[in-house]
Amino acid sequence: MFRHHIKIGYRNLLKNKTYSAIKIGGFSIGIAAFLLITLFVKEELSYDQFYSQQDRIYRVLNVSTNPDFQVNEWPSFSAPIANLLNTDYPEIETAGRLIVRDWFLAGENQFRKSTENQNNYEEGFAYVDPSLLDIFEIKMIYGTREESLSKPFTMVISKKVADKYFPNQNPVGETIILNDNSEEPYTIGGVMQNLPSNTHLEFDFLLTFVGVEFWDGEQTDWCCQNYEPYLRVKPGTNIQQLEEKLLAIKEDYLLKELIDTENAFAEVVKNHRSFRLQPIENIHLQSGVIGDNFKHGDLRVVQLFGAIAIFILLLACINFINLFTAKSANRAKEVGIRKVAGSFKGELVRQFLTESILYSGISIALGTTLAYLSLPFFNQLAGKNIHIPMDTYWFFPSLVLLTLVIGLLAGMYPSFYLSKFQPIDVLKGNISKGIKNSRLRSSMVVFQFTTSIVLVVSALVVYNQMQFILKSKVGFDKENLVLLHGASTLGDKTKAFKEELGRLPMIEDVTNSSSFPVDGTLRNNNQFWINGQQKIDKGVSAQAWRVAGNYHSSMKMNLLKGRFFAEETNRDSFATIINQTMAEKLGLENPIGEQIWNGGAWDIIGVVEDFHFENMKREIRPLVFFKTRGNSAIIAARIQSEDFSKTMASITGVWNKFMPNQPIRYSLLDESYAEMYAETERTGNVFAACAFLAILIACLGLFGLSTFMAEQRTKEIGVRKILGASSSNLFQLLTYDYLKLVFISMIIGAPIAWYLMKKWLQYFEYRIDIVWWFFIVAGVLVAGIALLTVSRQALKLTFSNPVDSLRNE
Amino acid sequence: MIQLKNLERYYKSGFQKSWVLKGINLDVKQGEFITIMGDSGAGKSTLLQIIGMLDAANKGEYNFFDEEVHRFNEKKRTELYKHYIGFVFQAYHLIDDLTVYENIETPLIYRGIKSKERKPLVAELLDRFNIVAKKDLFPDQLSGGQQQLVGLARAIIGKPKLLLADEPTGNLHTKQGEEIMKLFKELHAEGMTIIQVTHSEKNAEYGDRIIYLEDGYVREDKNVNELLEKN
Repeated sequence: MFRHHIKIGYRNLLKNKTYSAIKIGGFSIGIAAFLLITLFVKEELSYDQFYSQQDRIYRVLNVSTNPDFQVNEWPSFSAPIANLLNTDYPEIETAGRLIVRDWFLAGENQFRKSTENQNNYEEGFAYVDPSLLDIFEIKMIYGTREESLSKPFTMVISKKVADKYFPNQNPVGETIILNDNSEEPYTIGGVMQNLPSNTHLEFDFLLTFVGVEFWDGEQTDWCCQNYEPYLRVKPGTNIQQLEEKLLAIKEDYLLKELIDTENAFAEVVKNHRSFRLQPIENIHLQSGVIGDNFKHGDLRVVQLFGAIAIFILLLACINFINLFTAKSANRAKEVGIRKVAGSFKGELVRQFLTESILYSGISIALGTTLAYLSLPFFNQLAGKNIHIPMDTYWFFPSLVLLTLVIGLLAGMYPSFYLSKFQPIDVLKGNISKGIKNSRLRSSMVVFQFTTSIVLVVSALVVYNQMQFILKSKVGFDKENLVLLHGASTLGDKTKAFKEELGRLPMIEDVTNSSSFPVDGTLRNNNQFWINGQQKIDKGVSAQAWRVAGNYHSSMKMNLLKGRFFAEETNRDSFATIINQTMAEKLGLENPIGEQIWNGGAWDIIGVVEDFHFENMKREIRPLVFFKTRGNSAIIAARIQSEDFSKTMASITGVWNKFMPNQPIRYSLLDESYAEMYAETERTGNVFAACAFLAILIACLGLFGLSTFMAEQRTKEIGVRKILGASSSNLFQLLTYDYLKLVFISMIIGAPIAWYLMKKWLQYFEYRIDIVWWFFIVAGVLVAGIALLTVSRQALKLTFSNPVDSLRNE
Repeated sequence: MIQLKNLERYYKSGFQKSWVLKGINLDVKQGEFITIMGDSGAGKSTLLQIIGMLDAANKGEYNFFDEEVHRFNEKKRTELYKHYIGFVFQAYHLIDDLTVYENIETPLIYRGIKSKERKPLVAELLDRFNIVAKKDLFPDQLSGGQQQLVGLARAIIGKPKLLLADEPTGNLHTKQGEEIMKLFKELHAEGMTIIQVTHSEKNAEYGDRIIYLEDGYVREDKNVNELLEKN
């Protein structure tokens, strides 16, 4: 019986080639999109899920309910935290600290073997306690978790690095020089397996904390928060109770330090600070507001993608259902005869379901191939490195499962619908050719176009927000600025280098700082008070940037009050320039001449207009500038725009003269600025791609439907022509119905899109308004495409000879 | 075998009933070959469909081998006609996507007969109707007469007790029609009960009893010989 069903399905498929191609084509596209998005979602959800002690690994977070802080959770603590966790809390099996941000040797360094002179720029340095090798279950290739980092100045490198610098040898015991500092060489203590792509941790060089003290007394001081602790609890630990016990840290150490220094901030900490243990698997997707130094995914984006995947699949199923039922008249006779021949309804349902599963099987095979072919494009779009897991035990079984589920989903309604036909009606010829369940068919078409319109509007909004970000006045001139990185190794030669660079004809200006208004440059948060109030109020938390004297003029920032720093090195050593927001937060109407305090007093000499130094998702925060004492990580040159490559060649020449052992490394500020919004741009691209797919699938279905309707109406059109209808009358008649559906879709889709995009835009502190023409553009676009789709059939019919269609009656 | 008592079939339109069949009383004995005749709209096809259990009467009794069909639901009726009744249609009603062989075997599949046992049964009929060479062709590759042969083969493959035929030769030309009627006669001779609807007096002569319908009533119910003598 089953074979019989397959056979019939197959013959039907071959017989109606156009319809089959539409059904399978739409299905395949939908399935390819569904597969890719599902793999993306799966990858995102798989982060940090592979530990053998999975449910016992946590990160410790500070939680502040103080409304003045933008960031309400952050992972950094003072140096003694690890010892404290290890000794005072029996529930904690082991704890360790991590530093990944740019901090002394963490972050990026110049790297060379002690036997060579050529420096190599490397990223991904982290300081770790040896216990983290155990907590993160790092797999060692050479050396052991216990021994590799147990001595001062030892490091563990990843296999990738080992293969690069020590191919085919065991590098343990080799000596490494960082940043030309041959007085403090490092020894390789071990090699670890490369970290998998689905962990929030990203590093290739682990430097031991053993023997490290960044300044005198630093390791026992509760002053500063630079360390991020991770821990593993003992089995059966009650996490909530442990979090409550951790409050002792606040009482015994944090508050004590603040009260000892008579810091008014103590009050805030006392009332608002608590601690949270974040399970390691939540770090990737659920750290949106946590200010840490990892790249994160976003659970909301993952959910959004998941929803879009399901919608696209639904659209594809709808095509199938619509065409199947539309063509059902042709199958009705078969149903009638089979019933007369003794078939029960259930048997027929099974037959039609088998047929739809056959279609879904073919479509899944095609869709998987399509997904495979479009994978590079998708990876670029989503900013991921996903592969199709052909080699896993579950991949092909899940495809089979998917085939069944989709086959049933799409085949259910048509099967029951078809098998309901009564033989007597069919055999009498009572079934009109165009079986009119058109209301259902229309609502399904409306569903498809509503989805399309929502996606088009979304893509438009995201695109416009992106343009807004890139074109809006940011408060400085981001064009034609080259940043030279790794400049701190210039040391005393910084001044000479700047001068020589400044003499090049195509260079307008040269300045230096470690902090620039793009991601990936130094950020440094501090607490400031109006001098004299440090024991009275809680102060203002602000960024503190050290910049060269000409920084503001080089960056072309706008001075609102007072003056910029003097360019001479020895002046303005105790002066500060603040931004507008800082002045507001301090409550100073006329800040010039006032002093701010932060372990020392600074004279405010200028106020600059607010500029965006962080993502526009955030409000502009208070910022304070000091004059740098000498060298810094970045030297910035403003160049003349023409002939970029020649300019860069000249700059490289100067660099190589000063730093023969360190290759030049540069970036363009405007590119880095755009990079900050790569995620936003990707979201826009995904919306655009999905909108395109949705419209494509919907139009495939519409094309099928209109072809079918045209077949049905051939005779009617013939009669109308003979009665004197003009071609344009007929064209309107044939397309009006479809345009009506698009119009209804617009009315339904507009408020949905408006609501969704309103919510999305709320992530941005600086955003566009949703204006009426987004909807008009989306509507006209979708209506236009729909009209093009149906007009082929309409025109064909309109210009056909009525005699032909009426002759065979 | 079949008893119809006071059978009525009507359609409601608003408060009006329009009768297709009214007060039909009919007794069919096993082995009879009955022809139903009458003008267009007299209710011939409806009567045949009710007997064939494709349609149900609104009123009256229908007993089939002592089963009270008028009390049955659709599923039970299907079960019954699946085993006892074969149909032949004027428009053949073959399944376009099935070959001759597959069309003939379809009723057997629905009876759950295994492929191995189906083969000899189908082969026998192909042989008997002389269409072995056509077994892999599709309906649209056959002439009308050949299609009707397939239709007939399909109707009788399940060895039904009752064969119902609605204008079986209506779409055929004379020679093909005769061929089909001869087969009916053969089947009748073998003991099969047959009820046919036809306009053709000539075809009626193949049977042994004729029922004339007029506006839903039975006007005449005569033995063939009687009628022929009368004319």
